[in-house]
Parts: sequence; structure tokens; C-alpha cells
Amino acid sequence: MVKKEQIAKTTKYLNPYLGGVLLGLVLLSAFFVSGRGLGASGAIKSTVITTVDAIASGHAENAKFYKEDAKTHEGSPMKSWLVFEMAGVIVGGFLSGALAGRLKLKVEHSPKITSKRRLAFALAGGVLFGFGSQLGRGCTSGSALTGMAVISMGGFITMACIFGTAFALAYFFRKNWI
Amino acid sequence: MGPLVTYEFISQDTNLLLAFIIGIGFGFVLESSGFSSSRKLAGIFYGYDAVVLKVFFTAAITAMLGLLFFSLFGWIDLELVYVNPTYLYSAIAGGVIMGAGFIMGGYCPGTSFCGASIGKIDAFVFIGGLFLGVLLFAEGYPLWEDFFKAQFMGYPKLSEVLGLSDGIFAFILILMALGMFWVAEWAEKKFPQPEY
Amino acid sequence: MKPRIYLALFIIPLGMIIAAVPQNVTRPYKLTASQMLAVANSSSQFLSPDEVADFLIQKDPNLQLIDVRTPDEFMKFSLPGAINIPLTDLLSDEFKDILDQEIKMNVLYSNGTLQANEAWMITTQLGYKNNYVLQGGLNYWAETIMNPTVPASTNPDEEIAKYDFRKGASMALGGGAESSAPSSSTDTQSAAKPIIKKAGKKKVQGGC
Repeated sequence: MVKKEQIAKTTKYLNPYLGGVLLGLVLLSAFFVSGRGLGASGAIKSTVITTVDAIASGHAENAKFYKEDAKTHEGSPMKSWLVFEMAGVIVGGFLSGALAGRLKLKVEHSPKITSKRRLAFALAGGVLFGFGSQLGRGCTSGSALTGMAVISMGGFITMACIFGTAFALAYFFRKNWI
Repeated sequence: MGPLVTYEFISQDTNLLLAFIIGIGFGFVLESSGFSSSRKLAGIFYGYDAVVLKVFFTAAITAMLGLLFFSLFGWIDLELVYVNPTYLYSAIAGGVIMGAGFIMGGYCPGTSFCGASIGKIDAFVFIGGLFLGVLLFAEGYPLWEDFFKAQFMGYPKLSEVLGLSDGIFAFILILMALGMFWVAEWAEKKFPQPEY
Repeated sequence: MKPRIYLALFIIPLGMIIAAVPQNVTRPYKLTASQMLAVANSSSQFLSPDEVADFLIQKDPNLQLIDVRTPDEFMKFSLPGAINIPLTDLLSDEFKDILDQEIKMNVLYSNGTLQANEAWMITTQLGYKNNYVLQGGLNYWAETIMNPTVPASTNPDEEIAKYDFRKGASMALGGGAESSAPSSSTDTQSAAKPIIKKAGKKKVQGGC
């Protein structure tokens, strides 16, 4: 059994409450400047659309999903708020990691499982999350976080379902984490 | 008076540039708080690390209060701010699928970009998965289009639905969040796990 | 002290303030008092019955008459094509898009000038454009258009021309609509609600 005194948190992170306040201020500034909150899955959607358009533009012109997006979005799909924002996220994350000495190419996995297994689950999780984010019209940043800040009912519902389901399924995947 | 872009204090292109800058702030704060680590992110579901809960809810109540105060001072016109629409069935289904993805992958799109930015290979793979997932949705769109658009309830605010004013709702949420923080701190002490 | 405690001590009072303060000022006044005074003094919002009658006869599509009296009065008599926005409901959300737009010319009228002008003052202060007032209201309208006074033959030509115009207008407009339109005032509103493309302030597109 691991004694509590022996658990040394080796990585120094920002105090979560401070981080939360700062994140809230970033979110607030997004509202103030652009009238919208943060988001992430939309950038993936733009990338998918651009890729499909590049590879099989005939298909992109005819399939419903891409047509509907083209209707609401004039100009290149990559010239969207979310794409620029996610580019910034990469830079910001990198800066923070660099400053704190956390830059390291590695697969983060529990010592009790192989890294292959971790990657397999990461892929599966990504596929599910990508699909779900389109269905739910947002991910945790766009729908849950932003949705809560504007008190949107849809946002709260999605958030409750994400966290509720994750809690419910946690037992089945516990071997991966603890 | 905000939002700046709607009142044309800034142009659309400046808006995109500012999106980039806001994104830098977003990524920096996320990574600094530890959201680039899938282990920390999954921690809330097992009790050993409640960083997700603390950061998330603190950010939500900060931004919520901020918006309400800005509106009070006349610095922002809340009517012009985007409120997420509510499509009941797809909101629930999407949330459930995302929850499964979260516990399996240990990331969400925003945090996966953070993880990728500091070199986490599992984050890269997660992003690849995201791409595939969206592609799958797009290709099969006609199959679930009706479900996707079902039960459109407009853009209701939860405070309206409950019959509370925004301010009172915010206050109640603050109290709930603080309550959850206290439980979270207890859980972290009760179920500690070493870092790896 | 633990950060949690700091956070709680800071955020709970803020939450209490925001809960106690009456909901929101999302439609603040856009004009300062002196700006408002200047606009009011210029009296540029008034349109005479002759002008409005002219628009009606020409069937100008940009004209939107708005009756600010009570629904009962509106049902008994209203000008052609008018919709009813009672003064008491002026600030309600369902009429915001009609009052706050930049395409149509809203002409507010009431029995006299008072109520219509009150509506105009408020909408102008909120920054809404293109709202005007029918000078003299329906009373003056009745005097001039519906029952124009016959000028003496010795009056200047323009007076006689005006009289002819008014006589013609009175016949053309048939003295106004007497609820031959749908029976409930809400129906009149929904039938008459113009499909306005909001030029200018667009709601932001967001999501994901």
C-alpha cells in the first residue's frame, strides 16, 4: 500500500483554482471580442471538410454534410475562428510546456499496461469522441464549458451526459488508469 | 460595448487574429494546469485527481459571473452572444458517446491539442481518432441526419427553464461548484495514486 | 489559507451581488441625454398626414405603420397596413425585430401625438433607427385626410391642390381599415410581420 507521505507530486502544475479563474477570463475575453466562447471540435470538422474537398471534391460537393456546412460558411472552411484558435492552442501549450520543462515525446500510459494498449484506446476514444462531438454539436470546451457560461440548456445536458457516462464506464476501464 | 466584432469595433480578420491570441491563452492555461496529461484528466473519474472538476467549474462560474457583470455595466450586449442551441436527442446521445470516448481516450479535443503540443504520442493518436470519428459522422450523415436535427428546442437558457433569473442561477451554481470542490479535495486524499 | 477558501470568499459575495441585482441591462440607452435633446428638438421625426397618405397611395413597400394604442382601439379603426404594438408592450421581445431594424420606415401613430411620440422617444434612445411619428395622430388625420376642409375659392392654389390631394387620398384609402382584417390583433400582427433581414447587428455564429 502506498503511504500518503511517499506520494511526491513530481510535476509542478498551476494551482487548479487559479488555472480555472484564468481560463474563465480567457473565455470571457473570447465572448467580449468575438461574441462566442471557445471550442475545439469545430476545428477538426473544418480540417475534415478541407481534406475531403481536396481529395474527392466531387463527393464533397454532393454529400449532404459538406453541402450544409458550405451553406453556413462562406469562404474556405479553414478560415474559421476555431481553426485559428486551435492553432493558438498548440502554440500556447507548447510555450507552457517549454517554460515548465515538460516537452517530451512519449506515450503516457499506466505502468500496468503496455503503450500499445494505451495507443489503441486513445485511437478508439478519439473516434468515439469525434463522432460524439459532431452529434452533440460541440465537445467539452465548446458545448460544456462555453455552454455553461452562457447558461445554455443544451450545454448543461451535454456536459452532464459526458461526465455521467464517463463515471459510469470508469469501472470497466480502470485497469488502464490505476 | 461588446461583443467587439458585432459592433464593428474590429474587423472579421482582426477577429481571426484575436482568435489565435485567445487560443494561445487557452492552450497555455490548459497546459499549465496539467490538462496535457491524460492521466490527470481521467483522474476525476477515479477520485485521485480532481483537476478537471476544479478548473472546469471555476472557469465556468468565473466566465458566467463575468458575463453577467459585464452586462450589468453595459460592457456587453448579451443578446448578441451566441447561446448553444438545444437539440435534445443529439445532445444526450452525443454526450454519452463523448463520455465513453473520454474515459477510453483520456482526452477531449482541446486537451488533446495541448498534449500533442508537448509531445504526447497518445494525444497525436487521439487526434487521429478524432479525425476519423468526424469523417465517419460526415460520411454516414444521411443515416443520422433526422436524429441529429430532432427535438430542436431553440436556444433556451437553463435559468429560464427553471424559472430563475440568471443571477440567482449563477449564485446557486457557485454554491454547488464550491460544494463539489470540497468533496473533490476529500476524494483526492482518500484515493491517492502515484504519478507516472 | 487554502486557495479554495480564497476563491470561495471572493466569489460568493460576487455571486450574491449578481443574484440580488435586478436582471440585466442588455438594452442600455445608446444616446446621451444631450444627444437625445438635440434629436427631440429638431422635430425631424414628424411626418405629416399628407406625407403618409402619399406613401400609402404610392403603395411604398418601405412604409410600416405602427399603431401604439390598445388592441381594442386598434380593432375598431386602424390605418391601412398598420400593425398594433401597444405602448405598454413596446419593449417586449416579439416586437424588437420590427422596431430595431434599418430597412423599413416605421411610422408610429396614436390618437393624438403624445403616445406615438413617447414610443418614438424610447425607441430612439435605445438606438433604434427609422422610427417616425405621425404628426397629430389619427385626430389630425381625420381632420385633414378624411374630412378635409373645403378651402374658399380665394385661397392660394397650393391650398386648393392640397385639398384635392386629400380628397383623393380619402377616397383611395377608403377612410382606413375597420378590422376587415383578421379578428384578433395578434393575427394582424403575425400577418403583417415583415420578413426583415437584419442589416447590421447580426447574431454571432458559434458552436463546437
